[in-house]
Amino acid sequence: MNKMLSQKSEQFIIELRMYLTSKGKNDQQINDIVEELSDHLHEAEAEGKSVEDITGGSPRAYMKTIGNEMGFDFRQFAGLVPMMTFLLLAYFSLGPAIEGTISLSKTGLWIGLGMVILSFIIYGFFLVNILPKLYHSKSFYVVGIALQLVMTGVFVVILLLELKLDTEPFFVATPMQNNLIIIADIIIFIAAAIYTKTWFTIILPIFMALGPLATRVIPESINKNPTYIAMTIAILIIVSIGILVFIIQKGKRKKNG
Amino acid sequence: MSTSSQMLKGLLDGSLLALIAKGETYGYEMIEKLQQHKFAVVSEGSIYPVLMRLQKNNFVSTELRKSPNGPKRKYYTITAEGEKELQLFKEQWQHLSFGMNSILGERDEQNAKSKI
Repeated sequence: MNKMLSQKSEQFIIELRMYLTSKGKNDQQINDIVEELSDHLHEAEAEGKSVEDITGGSPRAYMKTIGNEMGFDFRQFAGLVPMMTFLLLAYFSLGPAIEGTISLSKTGLWIGLGMVILSFIIYGFFLVNILPKLYHSKSFYVVGIALQLVMTGVFVVILLLELKLDTEPFFVATPMQNNLIIIADIIIFIAAAIYTKTWFTIILPIFMALGPLATRVIPESINKNPTYIAMTIAILIIVSIGILVFIIQKGKRKKNG
Repeated sequence: MSTSSQMLKGLLDGSLLALIAKGETYGYEMIEKLQQHKFAVVSEGSIYPVLMRLQKNNFVSTELRKSPNGPKRKYYTITAEGEKELQLFKEQWQHLSFGMNSILGERDEQNAKSKI
C-alpha cells in the first residue's frame, strides 16, 4: 500500500477481521470486505473523513451488520478450533520448554485440559475484544505483559500443586525434546500469524518468553530459593518495564523522525 | 433510528442497483454519486452490507482490479438478473410513490378545505 491508514482506521480493520474470524466467517469473504473497506477508508481519509463517518455510531454494531450478510463457514471453523488449540498448547509449553521442564503425568493432563479450556475463553476474549482495541496504544504491551505474568503465575502455582500431589510423570522431556518443542511452538506462532494476518501471535510469545528465558540463565541453586524467586520476579518486572519504555521511546522517535 | 433513516434503509438496495446499472463503479464512487443525488445515507459504510447482499443474490458481478493509488479495488457491474430486479424495483417504487403521494395529498386537500 502506498499510503498508510490512520491508527484508528487500522485498528478498526484489525478488530473487524478478528471479529469476523471469531464468528466463523469465510476467510475469502473476510479478505474481500476488509480490502474493500480499507480502500474506502483510504479515500475517505484523503478527504478528511474518519472511521465514524463510515461505521456510523457504533463500530461493533456495524461489524455485526457486515457479519449478518456472511454465512457460517463450518469447514473453516472446524479448522480454526484445532489451530486455536495448537496455539494455546504452544503458549503453555513455551515457558516450560525454554526452562527445560516439560513433563507429563495423568493428573497433569487433566489439569492441563481444564486449563486449555479455561484459557481458550480467556485468550479468545483478549484476542477478539481487548487487544485489537489497544493495538496502537502503550496499554497493548502493559496488558500483554500482565496477561503473561498472570497466566505464567497460575501455571507455576498449578505445577507446584501438582508436585505436592506426587503424581508420577510418565513422560519427561529430554533437553533435545524441550528444544524441539520450542521450535514447534515458534512454527505454530508464525503459522497462526500468517493465518490471522496479524502480529499478535508473534508479539505476545516474545513477551511470554522473557520470564522463562531469565530463569534459564539463572543457576539452579539460586532458582530454588524463595527469596531469589521473589527477587527474580521483581527484576523481571523491572526488565519488562525497561523494555516497554525502550519500545515507547523508539516509537516516539520514529514518529518524530 | 429516525423515520427518515428507516425509509432510506429500504430504498438503498434499489438505489445502489440503479447506480451500478448506469455503469461499472466501486464503493466510494457510489457514496459520491449518492451525495450528488442528495440521497443522504445513514453512514457511508451502510452501503457495504447491501452490496454484499446484491452480490449474494447475483444481481451484480464484481471484479478486483488495481486502483490508481495502490490497493485493490472492487468494481461492480449489473447482471441480467439485476436488470430484472431493477425493473421490478422501479415499478414497485412508482406504485408506492403514487399511493403515498395520493395519501399525503388527500390530507393536504382536506386541510386546505377545513381552513376555508
